[in-house]
Amino acid sequence: MSKKFVSGILGILAALILGALIMLFQGYNPITTYGALFSYSLGGLYPLAITLRNSVPLILTGLSASVAFASGPVNLGQPGQLLIGALFATVGGLYLHLPAGFMIPLLLILAMIGGALWSGIAALLRRLFSMDEFITTLMLNMIADFLTYWAISYPFFDQSSYSPMTPQIDKAGWLPEFGNFNSNILIMVIVFVAVWFIFKRLTAGYEWRMTGQNSIFARLGGCKIDKNYVTVMLLTGALAGLAGGLVVMAGPHRFLKGLGANYAWDGVMIAMVANNDLVGTLLYGLFFSSLQSGALGMELITAVPSEFIQVLQSVIVLVVVAGRGVMDVVMDKLQIKRKARERTA
Amino acid sequence: MNIFIGLINGMISGATPILLAALGGAFTYYAGIFNIAMEGMMLEGAFFAVLGSYYLHSWPLGILCAVVGAMVMALIFILFTVYLKTDEFVTGIALNLFAVGSTTYMLRQIFKVKGAFSDPGIIPIPQIHIPLIEKIPVVGGILSGQNLIVYLTVIAIFVSMYVIFKTRFGLRLRAAGYNAPSLDSSGVKTATMRIWSLVICGVLCGFAGAFLSLGYVTLFSENMTAGRGWISLAAVILVNGNPGGIALISLVFGFTDGVGLFLQKYLPNQFTSMVPYLATLVSLYFYSIQKRKKLI
Repeated sequence: MSKKFVSGILGILAALILGALIMLFQGYNPITTYGALFSYSLGGLYPLAITLRNSVPLILTGLSASVAFASGPVNLGQPGQLLIGALFATVGGLYLHLPAGFMIPLLLILAMIGGALWSGIAALLRRLFSMDEFITTLMLNMIADFLTYWAISYPFFDQSSYSPMTPQIDKAGWLPEFGNFNSNILIMVIVFVAVWFIFKRLTAGYEWRMTGQNSIFARLGGCKIDKNYVTVMLLTGALAGLAGGLVVMAGPHRFLKGLGANYAWDGVMIAMVANNDLVGTLLYGLFFSSLQSGALGMELITAVPSEFIQVLQSVIVLVVVAGRGVMDVVMDKLQIKRKARERTA
Repeated sequence: MNIFIGLINGMISGATPILLAALGGAFTYYAGIFNIAMEGMMLEGAFFAVLGSYYLHSWPLGILCAVVGAMVMALIFILFTVYLKTDEFVTGIALNLFAVGSTTYMLRQIFKVKGAFSDPGIIPIPQIHIPLIEKIPVVGGILSGQNLIVYLTVIAIFVSMYVIFKTRFGLRLRAAGYNAPSLDSSGVKTATMRIWSLVICGVLCGFAGAFLSLGYVTLFSENMTAGRGWISLAAVILVNGNPGGIALISLVFGFTDGVGLFLQKYLPNQFTSMVPYLATLVSLYFYSIQKRKKLI
């Protein structure tokens, strides 16, 4: 744990220094830029609330990717599953009118069903025709993108608006806010704990992890690989779908064009940088969210375009992941040397 | 007849970027690299093509810049996967996102626009009219008047076939993927072969990007590759890297692109835009059915 932590911190620092060099090259002052970035995401109660709110879709899609990658299936379909989940929640919110106590759980379940349906297609194609989910989920992402774009342009289009979007969902489906803090964080925490428990403490989670590490071992040990594959795909799809539902219910309360376009891919990055570790996903999700939430403030103060954060994120992923590998090699060498010395002594 | 020629031409221009990127992917496929960074390389190429063409007022320099841009991506890939031994999959995903982020960032920094940049100052790659063939009815309209890159692509198919299957370099390249330890023990470094394959992939993706932003259309828009790199990856996997097969399958994808445009009269364009991706799924289906038959 400490080794992972150290390599993560070192990697982030190295990436931030690289980012600072890029800024210097462009003639910006990196210290004021980073200052603005983090004061707008972490400095004070309101920025903190925004950062936490924005971290929810990142963490949930990151969790989806982490669980999938660690269990074997290369589910890269989070962007599509998020969109379909968001669409399901939106449509539910438009046509159902119930008290909030029923409405919110119902919409969340709808979002999960939507996401699971979309990942279920990929799982089905894999089970029936052994088509690689790695490519099918990617293609389904593009299809979901166009499908939801169509849905908000024609059947669920808000007649009073000029760009493709749906009307607002029923007020009962809006997530309650406590001061500046949105209750989507609560739902995220509950889901995180549940997933962590399933993954780390239940037999099912153990089987998934074994399958991810060595599927032959798992099969010989009596795991039902095929059934587990489908379960993991459905679960991770549901997580991404839930992220989409929460985006709608916490934020604009409607489906806008380009909704959550980046969240899900960022989730995949978070899973990678966290090496599919669940707690790591949570921490990196918060960190990435603080970068994104501070981006606009940074642009406001220092004129560094907010798109810079996208560049910085991918640099962080590369540097941290590569750094982890290099650290492992260095650590191993040191250990061997130490052992050799002990033996000679 | 005009519809027919239009459909064929649409197929060719739809197939060209996929085909070029997939040829690049074929080299890395044979060298044993799981290269999913074609999308990013192409996108970076498309951006630098517009940059070069606009500021240097010349399309050849635009292509050159595109190749350099894609090559930078290839070099980053080489640095991380070959030297630092980072996971190829992670590197590829991060590079693709880096390409989206960096081109969007530069679009704003350099051209001061969001979304898309088009300007009469961007000089497109010219179409080539072949004097005599042009006059032949029907065929003339297809063989002549294509974009320069289309002709280069045709040459690239045959050159790739020759290089991969008939030269010593190709043999070593395939050995790097087939059995790396024995290649190493024969005195040829696998790492060197992999680096070369990625460099070639960078060049080809650069051309693919240049075709997108200076041939197919004359502008750069955010994330304009729109999954073409992924489709080309699917093409490589479907035909196990064979350049001839790649040419065929790319034409099929290009054809669906054309069909999509044609269907716009009858369906909302969101559905017609789905067609290439659906076609990829369908072709994967046929591939897996065939593979299963072979196993039985």
